[in-house]
Amino acid sequence: MAERTRKSASARPKPARTGTPRVAKPKPKPKPKPKPRAPRAKASTLSSFDLKEEQLKEIWYHLKLCRFFDERMETLYRQGKLPGAIYSGRGQEGTHVGTAYALREEDKFLGTHRDLSAQLTKGLDLKRVAAQYWGRIDGYTRGRDGNSHIGDFHGVGTFAAVSMLPDSYPVTCGVGLAFKMRGEKRVAVGMCGEGATSNGRWHESLNFSAIHRLPVVWLVNNNQWAYSTPNALEFPIERVSDRASAYGMPGAYVDGTEVLQVYQTVSEAVGRARAGDGPTLIESVSLRWKGHAGHDPAKYVPKEVLDDYVENRDPVAKFEALLLKEGVVDDSDTKQIEDRVKKEFDEAYEFAQESPLPDGADATLGVFTDDGYWARPAEGALLGDDR
Amino acid sequence: MMANEKVPAETPQADPREASKQASKAEGKPDRAAKEKERAEKVEAGAAGHGAEGRGTRNEQGEATFLQAISEALWEEMENDDRVFLLGEDIGIYGGAFKVTEGFIDNFGAERVMDTPICEETIIGAAVGAALAGMRPVAELQYADFIANGFDELVNVAGKYHYRTGHSVPIVVRGPSGGGVRASAFHSQNPEPWFAHTPGLKVVVPAFPYDAKGLLKAAIRDDNPVVYFEHKWIYRRIKEVIPGPDEDYTVPIGEAKVHREGDDVSVITYGAMVHKALEAAEELTDRGISIEVLDLRTVHPLDTEAILRSVERTSRAVVVYESYRSLGIGAEVSALLAEEAFEMLDAPVVRLAPPNIPVPFSPTLEDAYMPQVETIVETVEKLAKW
Repeated sequence: MAERTRKSASARPKPARTGTPRVAKPKPKPKPKPKPRAPRAKASTLSSFDLKEEQLKEIWYHLKLCRFFDERMETLYRQGKLPGAIYSGRGQEGTHVGTAYALREEDKFLGTHRDLSAQLTKGLDLKRVAAQYWGRIDGYTRGRDGNSHIGDFHGVGTFAAVSMLPDSYPVTCGVGLAFKMRGEKRVAVGMCGEGATSNGRWHESLNFSAIHRLPVVWLVNNNQWAYSTPNALEFPIERVSDRASAYGMPGAYVDGTEVLQVYQTVSEAVGRARAGDGPTLIESVSLRWKGHAGHDPAKYVPKEVLDDYVENRDPVAKFEALLLKEGVVDDSDTKQIEDRVKKEFDEAYEFAQESPLPDGADATLGVFTDDGYWARPAEGALLGDDR
Repeated sequence: MMANEKVPAETPQADPREASKQASKAEGKPDRAAKEKERAEKVEAGAAGHGAEGRGTRNEQGEATFLQAISEALWEEMENDDRVFLLGEDIGIYGGAFKVTEGFIDNFGAERVMDTPICEETIIGAAVGAALAGMRPVAELQYADFIANGFDELVNVAGKYHYRTGHSVPIVVRGPSGGGVRASAFHSQNPEPWFAHTPGLKVVVPAFPYDAKGLLKAAIRDDNPVVYFEHKWIYRRIKEVIPGPDEDYTVPIGEAKVHREGDDVSVITYGAMVHKALEAAEELTDRGISIEVLDLRTVHPLDTEAILRSVERTSRAVVVYESYRSLGIGAEVSALLAEEAFEMLDAPVVRLAPPNIPVPFSPTLEDAYMPQVETIVETVEKLAKW
């Protein structure tokens, strides 16, 4: 052993003897890894998916609504008409809508503040969502939290997003555990971005869920940027989903700009989870079109990449083109759905402006259940409270 | 479409403990009476550290140790409510590092007495998720010190969830806390101020078996997240007669208790320090000084009325506690007295608590670190003469 060490030492180039302490040469900067090739799925044809025309139209509606909401909120934010922050999910609607649409009413979705589109698809009321953005009493949190830090666990079945990522992953384990212990055929889906996969909680949760074969599906919305940090600085492997086998679960990699392929992949995983066959890790790749939050111009994203995604890989435009091409909808339907989405947004916006602000004197209430604040109807609320 | 279709077999690795269990069954049972006697003697000798010894049972007088009281609370709540389950490290076949859950797995099964990997964030986070989904999980941290590993799920998820959404998170997070057992910096801490400072968590630190059982039952039935610290020095040292399974009772969270009435000085305290205060009280009686020992039992929400009531009677107060002196429970009680009871006071309020240093190991160092009976006696004497 010693000999071998000497041998290899002599083979190394001798350091220059300058009389000064030897300083380790600075390591060359790691070569920037080539960008993981985002999967570019073959263009879908509708016949390969088992979806009725009504369902296709529903998916279309969700995509259109989420896109419109995202764009309008950004405009209002830039006009200084919206308090707080916005976390745009634009460009990732394929992942969000495709995932949420694969769930049943009794299933739960636990995502992040970037995943509002998934929560809207799962059923959040647009009026109450808008009221939340303006800090109104009719918002889901009665003004106690803002923007997409929203959820309605016992209602539509979504966890109120927490900023520390992926805090929803361990919670997803617990929801799945409860379903399993009670023998219920229900599924919990945990979603986070690829940046959150660097965090210990992510690994703990995948491990835990696989050990106990929980009825859980893990979604990684790989939008290629964690704030300003690219994939290459988050993980040294090509695909996050490759990690699945290390945890003892199947993994899948899907083009997140193809809503039907996301839907299909998630449906299969949800089916396995529901049947008691344990968790699946799905990586759905798209691009974050906007900055981390409204304030961030995201100049670090190469322009040609962004342009390519916006021009050629827009999940909403691609799906719409497919529906038109296959004759599921025509131009008059397009006009109709655009009018509908605009009307719904305008109504929600108006509603939010009319809903009263919460009374500052109530700020300390509702920390614990003991004071009964949340058990009482919200004072001044325009909508009935069905909690 | 799946990149990796390989699904693991039902049980990738068999649980080797099953084999050991069968083997020890075959060996036959040891003489139970002899074992109990041996155990009892060791308990008397004060084996309070890492619990290799069994939990034991109540003695002939029906007295339960602190440890047994906690165990009884868990057992009874699990018997009475299917939603209650336990998760934590080594709590199943091993019965927990201190044997709180010894024998539970045989009665309730491995699902309700779940051995988890070493993953405190997920232990607490999974408890939150299960609670949201309608269960009543009780998470055990092997030592209270390890709660730092699960801090985020507790503080940012559990503590804030009800305020933000109106949906409650009925979890209990238990952990053996406290020093005096020569366990040094990572197995002796008193983390209660971290959580008393943070919104949305109730923080309970009992000192007696009766309170330990009643407060744990109350914590499990509470709709809010409760952090429950059980002082490991007390585990096997303090015992008393407490109600059994036929006599259901709870102790309300947020209520302090006067353990000994007195006129001259209020000693406001909780946890293991209650026992030192009571010892000091005996000695002070011999010196003609009467102290009132107020056991906070819950450090958040604090029973401010009980504190003010006591100081109204005595006009003097010393706060004795084992968590750090600065910016802690004593500072809070002192500030309360300064703000609300200034006119009642005849002397400054004094804090007796460890300095802000890691808990040291060597007996001389740890004893110097921790408030002692003599220090309490000296401090009270000075205050009484003020």
